[in-house]
Amino acid sequence: MNPYSDESVSGAMSNFEDTLRLISHVPVPEGLVDRVHAGLKTAPRRGRILNWPAALRPGSNWMRAAAAAAIVFVVAGGGWGVYSRVQPPPSAKVAGVPPHGAASGGFSNAGAMRVPQTVKGPIVTHAAAAAAMRQDTSPANKVSGQAAQTSRHSKPLARDKFATQPAVPAAK
Amino acid sequence: MEIPENAVSDQARQHAEEEALAALVSQYAGTLYRVAFSVLRNPSDAEDAVQEAFLRVLRHRDTLGEVRDNRVWLIRIVWNIVLDRKRRAKTRPETDDVSELARVLPAAGLSAEQIASAAQHHAHVLSCMEQLPAKEREVLMLSAFEELSSVEIASILDITESSVRSRLFRARNIMAGLLNHSRSLR
Repeated sequence: MNPYSDESVSGAMSNFEDTLRLISHVPVPEGLVDRVHAGLKTAPRRGRILNWPAALRPGSNWMRAAAAAAIVFVVAGGGWGVYSRVQPPPSAKVAGVPPHGAASGGFSNAGAMRVPQTVKGPIVTHAAAAAAMRQDTSPANKVSGQAAQTSRHSKPLARDKFATQPAVPAAK
Repeated sequence: MEIPENAVSDQARQHAEEEALAALVSQYAGTLYRVAFSVLRNPSDAEDAVQEAFLRVLRHRDTLGEVRDNRVWLIRIVWNIVLDRKRRAKTRPETDDVSELARVLPAAGLSAEQIASAAQHHAHVLSCMEQLPAKEREVLMLSAFEELSSVEIASILDITESSVRSRLFRARNIMAGLLNHSRSLR
């Protein structure tokens, strides 16, 4: 059947595959094979100039070994860099040993390295209190004082009251 | 002077590869040209594509022995080349021009009027094909080559055979719809 007859042309609108088949059978231009052969002969051969030497070919093992060596070098270099920058603190040649044993007549400091400064003792600044302190220390008053303290129901004297109260620290 | 054994074997291998390549050119250049022409629809572009395909084969001639089906392998190479060229060119094929199509397509024993009418019809069919989705269009083009089975088309396009069938079915339906629509407008 001639695809170009009037009947087929009019009825070929739906039969589009004729067109495709026609295109798939286009005549090959003359001399195509010769031209392709000539093109292949003049084409530069692969890798004549830029070919890797056999020993340096990327697929060979030397590249893998070089990569491994480079990784080791970087890791070791980094470690050495950190080690060389961080200096260890100088160790003390003489160790201070705190004195052991309690001081005679008082509390011990339990081997503490530092003992804070403490107030030495109460300093009475009030005049009346100072007078009472003096009377308390005389021998005559000691006896009467003791008698007064031994009586159960008696109230403590004003001077005793002063004596028992803590004095205002001088440091204030 | 003694010639090294490696040099002799290299030369023999190279000679064998060149002979195999020459045989491929003689056997498949025409097929590759037609495949390239079906996409590019331009004789000189199609010939360039064939040349480029064989240059690629020359570059990878070491792997020629591993190729299972030379024909499918070569068509796949030229198919990728022409699709790439078409994508880059983004121009309308030369043969969409009716007079150019009449010149290129075979028309032996026809009157001038018949040739013009046929060329007009073919140009219309090809313009309808351009409206198809790319996947369907590619399968439809390759199916026109009678020597290619659906398995081989699947291998060229790197899809499954069932995908080839379904795309071909869709492509035919769309084409029929497009052609009927244009006929009803006339």
